[in-house]
Amino acid sequence: MVSIADLKRISSYEWEIPASYRADMRVPVRIFASETLLKDVTRDKSLEQAVNACALPGLVGSVKVMPDMHQGYGFPIGGVAATRYPEGVISPGGIGYDINCGVRLLGSRLSYQEGKKYLGELATALNQSCPSGVGIGGHHRLSSKEVEDVCRKGSRWAKENGFATDQDLRRTEDGGQLRGADPRFLSPRALKRGMGQVGSLGAGNHFIEIDLVSKVFDQKAARAMGLNEGDLALQIHCGSRGLGHQVCSDYVKSLQSAVTKFGIILPDRELVCAPMDSPEGEAYLAAMACAANYAFANRQVLSHYAREAFESVLAGRVKDWHLHLVYDVAHNIGKIETHQIDGISMEVCVHRKGATRAFGPGSKELPSEYKKIGQPVLVPGSMGTSSWVLRGTSKAMELSFGSCCHGAGRVMSRTQAKKTIWGEDLLKQLKKDGIKIQAGSMAGLAEEAPAAYKDVDAVVETVTSAGIAAKVAQLKPLVVIKG
Amino acid sequence: MNDTLAGFEELSHTADLEIKVWGDDLASLFLAAADGLFHLSGIEDYEEGFSAVKETISLDAMDYEGLLILFLEELLYRLTEDYMLFSIEKLSISTAFSLKAKLRGTQIKSYQRDIKAVTYHRLNIRETDHGYEVNIVFDI
Repeated sequence: MVSIADLKRISSYEWEIPASYRADMRVPVRIFASETLLKDVTRDKSLEQAVNACALPGLVGSVKVMPDMHQGYGFPIGGVAATRYPEGVISPGGIGYDINCGVRLLGSRLSYQEGKKYLGELATALNQSCPSGVGIGGHHRLSSKEVEDVCRKGSRWAKENGFATDQDLRRTEDGGQLRGADPRFLSPRALKRGMGQVGSLGAGNHFIEIDLVSKVFDQKAARAMGLNEGDLALQIHCGSRGLGHQVCSDYVKSLQSAVTKFGIILPDRELVCAPMDSPEGEAYLAAMACAANYAFANRQVLSHYAREAFESVLAGRVKDWHLHLVYDVAHNIGKIETHQIDGISMEVCVHRKGATRAFGPGSKELPSEYKKIGQPVLVPGSMGTSSWVLRGTSKAMELSFGSCCHGAGRVMSRTQAKKTIWGEDLLKQLKKDGIKIQAGSMAGLAEEAPAAYKDVDAVVETVTSAGIAAKVAQLKPLVVIKG
Repeated sequence: MNDTLAGFEELSHTADLEIKVWGDDLASLFLAAADGLFHLSGIEDYEEGFSAVKETISLDAMDYEGLLILFLEELLYRLTEDYMLFSIEKLSISTAFSLKAKLRGTQIKSYQRDIKAVTYHRLNIRETDHGYEVNIVFDI
């Protein structure tokens, strides 16, 4: 077990586990955390998992861990690792089962003052129009061919079917369509699981939330994003549903033999991997891109349903009910990107597992409206607490492969949360705080209680103090829809 | 603990679910793991009406751990896709890492929790004085 004594202090917010800590480490671990948050992570196995990730062949720089880190399986949640492309490896376990789980934020011109009397109706309308919950699929069942189309085109499929605008696509990472997607590398089961779930939220920590833009910290950036203090906004958090889970399961299984073939020795079988220039690595990259595109389309279709819900409640009652996409970020994904490593420009595959891309100003990947300010970075809090809109910085490009935290991060197990928190009590407390909740189950609600998570404000203070992101706006929840 | 021949218990995990499973032989270990999976999915209460029609599954893997994953994934897939819960009538495991099982299914109306996957994380079937044990982490 890694202890605080094993860490080297780089700055008040950056720590290192040197590569000498264990013989199989190819690179060091760099942890972004305050001293307080660091204590949280030494309580579980997240640092040990970060050390394990350092055994992957082809790693460059160091394995980064974000302040919202916690124990996962294989990689820690909050882990970022870059491997040299194409000879380095790609590891499905370094991306996760919910491929392209992500968040999008939609802004509005509707003030809280004008919209507050409709929040109850909006909660009901959102709950009815956006399918959510355990085992609940979307409104429409697609054919296998249509699922393949979704996987190839992502958000572009949504646009062709009337669920998206050009601006939506421009304001989604990679335009909502990761290159290289090839449905021939999907199993029949993955395709089948994809047929009924486009436009569905799922359960667990996924949510739709109406927020108040409670405080703006950076007027110029907020203006570029169309966010005004006192207005309403909407967040959607979900991923690639069963199709993505199946892709990861299929490839974690098939790559078990690939590591033997390539002579790769790993401390944990969940980290199995293959060189990206091998047939096995190429197959996973093509399948992962399919799942990522499915997730982009899924969040886009849900956005369309949310817009319909807003229209059904607000049309004729308020001046402007339009929801514009601020940005859509992926936080479980592998991306081929160019970064400066020790002063050399290099193509790498950045594995982000529970970490958000946070590209700084001037990045060619950003739409023109964000080129000057940097990429919007969305950090949802736990249920009932603040969420944050940040922007990527040049320092993130230097220190963290253009990456940042993805949320608050759990500290309490689900079993512990259910033991100590009653769903009904929590519901009462949230109501008292003026938050309307539509939840699938009381036990599920208790598992996601704010007390089970770290303080998101402390996580955000850490990334902004470390300089890998800058504050733009704080959001306060008003309505939460949970599966 | 471990005073019964086979069983499982839930352990603490920050974000996902982990169970410790034990059995006096590999077949009972696998059956207890299946019970654990169904328990975590939240389908303890269901109508006792298992079909008379038996299904057979045959699985092959590189090792026992791989076989356990295949077996649990099969049950999980049928649960989430077909809403089928199975009573496992007969299960045999060969030293060549093959599994054969006869199952009788019953349709369920709902389950309480989406399990995304059965992971290989630190998966290691250990021999003990009483048989076998293994820890399994499920991604949720």
